[in-house]
Amino acid sequence: MTTIQVAGLHVRHRKTVALDSLDLDFGPGVHGLLGPNGAGKTSLIRVLATVAAPTGGRVEMLGEDIGDPRGRAAVRRRLGYLPQEFGYYPGFTVREFVAYMAWLKEMPAADTPAAVERAVARVGLADRIDAKIKTLSGGMVRRVGIAQAIVNEPKVLFLDEPTAGLDPEQRVEFREMLRELGATATVLVSTHLVEDVAAACTEVTLIAAGRLAYRGTPDSLTALGTTADGIGDNPIERGYTAALRAHRESAAVREVAAR
Amino acid sequence: MRPERGADPVTTAGPVLYARSRALPQTITALAVTTLLAIWAAHALDSYLDPDRQVPVVALAPLFASAVIGTSLHTASDELDRTAVRPWWRRRLLHLLTLTALATALLPLAVLTSTQTFGPPAMIRNVLGCTGLTAAAAVVLGARLSWLPVFGYVSAMYLGIAGLRGGALPAWAWLLEPRTGGTAWTTAATLFLLGGTAYVIRGARPTP
Repeated sequence: MTTIQVAGLHVRHRKTVALDSLDLDFGPGVHGLLGPNGAGKTSLIRVLATVAAPTGGRVEMLGEDIGDPRGRAAVRRRLGYLPQEFGYYPGFTVREFVAYMAWLKEMPAADTPAAVERAVARVGLADRIDAKIKTLSGGMVRRVGIAQAIVNEPKVLFLDEPTAGLDPEQRVEFREMLRELGATATVLVSTHLVEDVAAACTEVTLIAAGRLAYRGTPDSLTALGTTADGIGDNPIERGYTAALRAHRESAAVREVAAR
Repeated sequence: MRPERGADPVTTAGPVLYARSRALPQTITALAVTTLLAIWAAHALDSYLDPDRQVPVVALAPLFASAVIGTSLHTASDELDRTAVRPWWRRRLLHLLTLTALATALLPLAVLTSTQTFGPPAMIRNVLGCTGLTAAAAVVLGARLSWLPVFGYVSAMYLGIAGLRGGALPAWAWLLEPRTGGTAWTTAATLFLLGGTAYVIRGARPTP
């Protein structure tokens, strides 16, 4: 079952092409989005999270065209998003911030208090729910961000570098939560940490220079690391670098052929 | 751990949280303080003896009020706000109109004694013009720096006051026009309309 369908997606930031005619589709499960800095991961996540409009192409999500305002509104009710950096209001407590985001997603007012407490408990911050966010550590603030992303029990969830700032134990717990979320929702996780992908993702998408470089599973990427000529400390890292090299070489060949 | 606040339904009500996220309680307090200062200044300047002494009040009070309104347009979580289900233009419109209406209701209290020149109509006109400029600046520069262009404009007008006063003033000197009606009102209303529309459609430019 496909929940997200991306066709010919093109994103341009002034003179730089961030995404170049990208075609992708995602179904329920946890999808790792890998790629070097500047590959276009954040551009893709921002378009899918409906916060940035693409220059071209079409995105269909949960059966709705997000280019259409009505379709976009319908998707946003069932969408969760954690950006790389989310601002928060210094005077807000964790409860208030998550409740504010629930209100923006138009959750029924009667359901909101319980949903907020559930989401906050899920990220392990139940004992700090009435603490001001500004008093929390960086890792805790990150978890507040995850709580607001899941408060509406989203059907599609986009997480941009969600484990940045989390300690190893929290990362393990977070991966467990990802697996739970992926059972019912389509979760797209952008990360540089390939071990997170290996541990929690059902599929891997690697993009480079705005184009699709590799698609497969963590196992297939790991297998690539055992057979191909990649660098890294473990098989999946070697698979990642090998896939990236192979993509760059084929792109160079295509470019030469096109001249 | 004992919670700092309970799960009070008021604290998790969306509109209340929106108002707090935009620091509206502080903004309203600042508008009230600006009004009190303007009333005090108008009295201290004995402006009832000479209407021209109202100039600092009708120029500076709208400047402060518009700066306060402009700063309240800032959002700390722009990226997440963009995922809101409802389009933002309604909230922006309500936000800007409510605060502008409040400022236009409060600030004229400082110049009630002057009915012919630099009276309540001039104060309302200047609030509208300054707020329009500030709203436009919020779109271009971000809400936190939105006061800068209007501060520059008012300062330039105020410092150049001797060269401008007397006779018919050009449209761009709307701030110092003592009489009501005419091009000064048209300019101020146009600025409010254009600046307000730009803000309602585009929102404040995201800044850290």
